[in-house]
Amino acid sequence: MLTVLSVEVRKLNRSLALLLALAAPGLIALFGFLMMLRAKEAVTWDMVMGSAVAIWAYFMMPMSVTALTALVAHMEHGPRSWDHLRALPIPRWSLYAAKAICVIGLVALMSVAVLGLSGAAAFLAAQIKPVVAPTGVFELAAYARSLGLMVVAGTLMIAIQFWVAMRFASFVPALIVGIGGTFFAVVATAARQGVFMPWQMPVNILAGEAWRMQTALGLGGGLGLVVLILAVAHLARREVL
Amino acid sequence: MVGMIETERLTRRFGARTAVEAVSMTVPDQAVYGFLGRNGAGKTTTLKMLLGLIRPTAGTARVGGVDVARDRTGAARKIGALLEAHGFYGNLTGRENLDLSRRLLGLPPSEIDRVLSVVEMRADAGRRVAGYSLGMRQRLGLARAMLGAPPVLVLDEPTNGLDPDGIAEMRGFLRDLPARTGATVLLSSHLLGEIEQIATHVGVIHQGRLVLEGELAALKAAEAPEITLRVDDPQRAAAVLRRWDLTLVEGADGMIARLRPGQDHDQVAAGLNRALVEQGVGVFAFGARERSLEGLYRQVTENTQPLPEAA
Repeated sequence: MLTVLSVEVRKLNRSLALLLALAAPGLIALFGFLMMLRAKEAVTWDMVMGSAVAIWAYFMMPMSVTALTALVAHMEHGPRSWDHLRALPIPRWSLYAAKAICVIGLVALMSVAVLGLSGAAAFLAAQIKPVVAPTGVFELAAYARSLGLMVVAGTLMIAIQFWVAMRFASFVPALIVGIGGTFFAVVATAARQGVFMPWQMPVNILAGEAWRMQTALGLGGGLGLVVLILAVAHLARREVL
Repeated sequence: MVGMIETERLTRRFGARTAVEAVSMTVPDQAVYGFLGRNGAGKTTTLKMLLGLIRPTAGTARVGGVDVARDRTGAARKIGALLEAHGFYGNLTGRENLDLSRRLLGLPPSEIDRVLSVVEMRADAGRRVAGYSLGMRQRLGLARAMLGAPPVLVLDEPTNGLDPDGIAEMRGFLRDLPARTGATVLLSSHLLGEIEQIATHVGVIHQGRLVLEGELAALKAAEAPEITLRVDDPQRAAAVLRRWDLTLVEGADGMIARLRPGQDHDQVAAGLNRALVEQGVGVFAFGARERSLEGLYRQVTENTQPLPEAA
């Protein structure tokens, strides 16, 4: 399994998926940087980083997962490499499991990049315009915890997007599900039912109410893992004609 | 006959459509087996069943004695495959692409240089595959199929998209492969001329059925010889030919008289020529038609009925 995983990681070399993994957090950092340069007075680190984490949770993470799973799947769909991979003397489930782990790893890496790049962008903006230098303490552990929990809560969303992207050779079904899911999650934020939307789970981590975080971890993380296992089993078993 | 690849009544249906019907084929050890058929005849479906990519509706397939359905990974260890879709990652170099497969197969790094040398691709292996020509991709695909020196190579349309030089190069390479590596080669193609120059054995699949199989030389030897002729009065010529108990076929360049097996070609040709001249038929051209795979192919495919729809 480790070999298959290492092969998946190597495939990302010079790939669009890796570019996206850097670009999406980079855009959040760029946005924060420009906002700080426009500001007239300093804000706290909590506000700077809270804003970056919120953008990530509400919008950028669901969209990035949609694009990332589609790009990772397209690495195989595009050159039609499934036939070659599936004809190799290795268990087929390991091919899909390694890909799923790789995607989750990339999402975790993007979360780290959100933290690192947004912090660096704020620091850079403060160097250019000292009056906006963030005040207070940079609570690294707290921000990292929130982002880490978001990855766990986002497992259900990742599993659904991964399943659709791997199942269909075309980009379109994965994009429809991802864009649709993100749209409904954003417009249903205020509704109680919206809490249970898979694309809303990362946002629940930021909510004040404990039950929302528990829902996110239980439903998004627990059920997400079950769905991911089912997806791997289904993809390994089905025929690719 | 015991073969490196054997199928027994291998069948695959897609809904009501039967793609492959009761195909029983045998590919002998170290043979270059040309698997012929038109586009859509069932070649790729059969190959996919041999590789365990799709499940047969009925029948069995064995590679090196291993049942593909019962032990897919065991059978897969014996096969290297070059499929129509190469499945290379354009963002990686040729060497990096081979390295992925090498790692998955658990082979030493030296294996990459070995197969690159075989296909004479070492100089270009450091370039990204996105910039490769189709011919280079074919050779890289062949190199990948040979990783770990599998005893069986399954090659789906390996000359597809190659220029004439590339085809000639690939032809020579494939022909020598069993002698160089000891491998058995199953080669699917719809190019009869190519197969005729490479293969030691052939199998013809037509409308899902294997309609001909055997050693190419023996099949050609058994084929009824033919005489081609161009005359000024085809109707009178036809009347003469009928008296000689020959089968007449309209060819692109004139008439083709197909002899019955056992008839002496030279004796019939001399007598026929004499008879035509005696009857006042002007003969422009008269000659023996070389026994060809194309003739065999046409003979077996023209007599095959389409497969019925499954119930």
